[in-house]
Amino acid sequence: MTTTAAAPDIVTTEHLSKWYGQVIGLNDVTLTVPSGITGLLGPNGAGKSTFMKLITGQLKPSKGGITVLGEPIWRNPKLYFRIGFCPEQDAFYDRMTGLEWITALSRLNGVGEAEAGAMARRALDLVDLADSAGKKIGAYSKGMRQRVKLAQALAHDPDLLILDEPLGGMDPIARRKTIRLIKDWGRAGKSVIVSSHILHEIESMTSNILLINQGRILAEGNVHQIRDLIDEHPHTVYIKADETRALARQFLTYDDVLSLKFEDDAVVVQTGRPDAFYARLTELAASGELGTIHEVTSPDDNLQAVFQYLVKA
Amino acid sequence: MPIHDQGYRRYGGARTPRGQAWIVIAKAGMRTFLAKKAFLGLLLISWFPFFVRAVQVYAAANFPQARQLLAIKPETFRQFLDQQNIWVFFITVYVGAGLIANDRRANALQLYLSKPLTRAEYVFGKLVILATFLLLVTWVPAILLLILQIMFAGNLTFFKENLFLFPAITLFSFVQALTVSAAMLALSSLSNSSRYVGILYTALIFFTTALGGVLAFALGLQHAEAGTGRPGVSWISPSADLAQIGDAIFRLPLRNDSPLLLSLFIIVLLVVVSGAVLERRVRGVEVVA
Repeated sequence: MTTTAAAPDIVTTEHLSKWYGQVIGLNDVTLTVPSGITGLLGPNGAGKSTFMKLITGQLKPSKGGITVLGEPIWRNPKLYFRIGFCPEQDAFYDRMTGLEWITALSRLNGVGEAEAGAMARRALDLVDLADSAGKKIGAYSKGMRQRVKLAQALAHDPDLLILDEPLGGMDPIARRKTIRLIKDWGRAGKSVIVSSHILHEIESMTSNILLINQGRILAEGNVHQIRDLIDEHPHTVYIKADETRALARQFLTYDDVLSLKFEDDAVVVQTGRPDAFYARLTELAASGELGTIHEVTSPDDNLQAVFQYLVKA
Repeated sequence: MPIHDQGYRRYGGARTPRGQAWIVIAKAGMRTFLAKKAFLGLLLISWFPFFVRAVQVYAAANFPQARQLLAIKPETFRQFLDQQNIWVFFITVYVGAGLIANDRRANALQLYLSKPLTRAEYVFGKLVILATFLLLVTWVPAILLLILQIMFAGNLTFFKENLFLFPAITLFSFVQALTVSAAMLALSSLSNSSRYVGILYTALIFFTTALGGVLAFALGLQHAEAGTGRPGVSWISPSADLAQIGDAIFRLPLRNDSPLLLSLFIIVLLVVVSGAVLERRVRGVEVVA
């Protein structure tokens, strides 16, 4: 990946490796991540989360070195003033309100109670949770829980946001807003490293990607170069909604929908053109014509097929 | 003049100096417990022996006929701290069991440790929560009793004759609070369930005491007494070791049959092992190799 003097590298790794006993999590990775938004794309178990945990200093490298924002991250907590991390798993107390939780976490940035409260309110407003700030997190939907996690990451206005699968489980509208938020963050001169196993999600935020599989960086650079490969494979989308049958009838009118089936209160669709499908899905959710769409997820076997193809090619 | 959206604005005010993030952890934890009525009730009940002792101090100072029976001696303070052991146990289980276990269950450690907070600060903050509440039922009432004694007596004679009492109360209370808090935090870091941790702690306290008794019986040491030179096995129980150290601090005859140095060694070992467990278990990411 090329860098310029005006845009310093935010992450630099040198022969970075991480083993978990006999299992290798990340294998001899040497790279530089430039400022701006960078997507980390790979199927489940590819090493994305390991890479994220190394970048956030939560794991010690088994071998090699890593610097973040120009400083070693391992055992360097002062760097966390400049970093915001949104983990993949839920991480909060259900009995606390969103405002209480973000305020408590913001306090760890060395600010007073009043300022932490103000930071928390601003962050919740930014992720469209201002109206639910006083609700207990236990009563939040999956998408709201994702957004409250995102809010805690950006509450202290970090230079670098590290987001591990931030869109998982969000409804189409929240997804669109979050993508916009991430892009705005990038436009404001901040850096974002965002992981996903869904190409079009990453593509909607940035064209700069790192492709990772089996602990190795397979490719880095512009997303369009692998775009055609991805498009050859059908993409599965799992949609949890109130009116699954009405949605299914609508989907059947789309020529890119290859198949669909019902699972409990969800409809599972295979599409040949995910971009077009997601765009129409967002419009449908926004119009509310066919009831509420609660959750949209995509299993990572979409990408797995492409990676198998890439590795074997 | 057009006003442009200036977006998110960075905090430009003063920050708490580095190394003090433990205060945030400690304050938040204490506030959580102080908001619980059940806990406030427990704290209130744990002060009942203090009020009884305060009446004793008052009576001994003001009624000559009661002086013989209720005389205040240095042992009185040691006995008071002994009486508080039951409340130390309840508060340790109530407060300590979930201190780390609940954070583990909520997956919160990962987030805490992605903030400007070191693992040492996190553990210290948690330790301060439990130790503070323990001192609130040991050190604080014991020192208040000493102050009451001086006030009711109307002179400093008792205090001057027993100058060691203030440091003895302080040293023993802090040693007890540190040992118990460290052990409980270590246990709390081993599980995601505070209930399980509470049961484990209770079992360890009673099991080690019972084991000491069984071994003493099996080895024919049940009648071994302190000072006889016969080796004992009461050192197996950390509670007995703390009692032994307490007796030594208060310049009283040792109540158990094991050497003081051995009891000291066990307590130091317990704190060191607890530290090692915490070092291994308190991590943002659990690595299962």
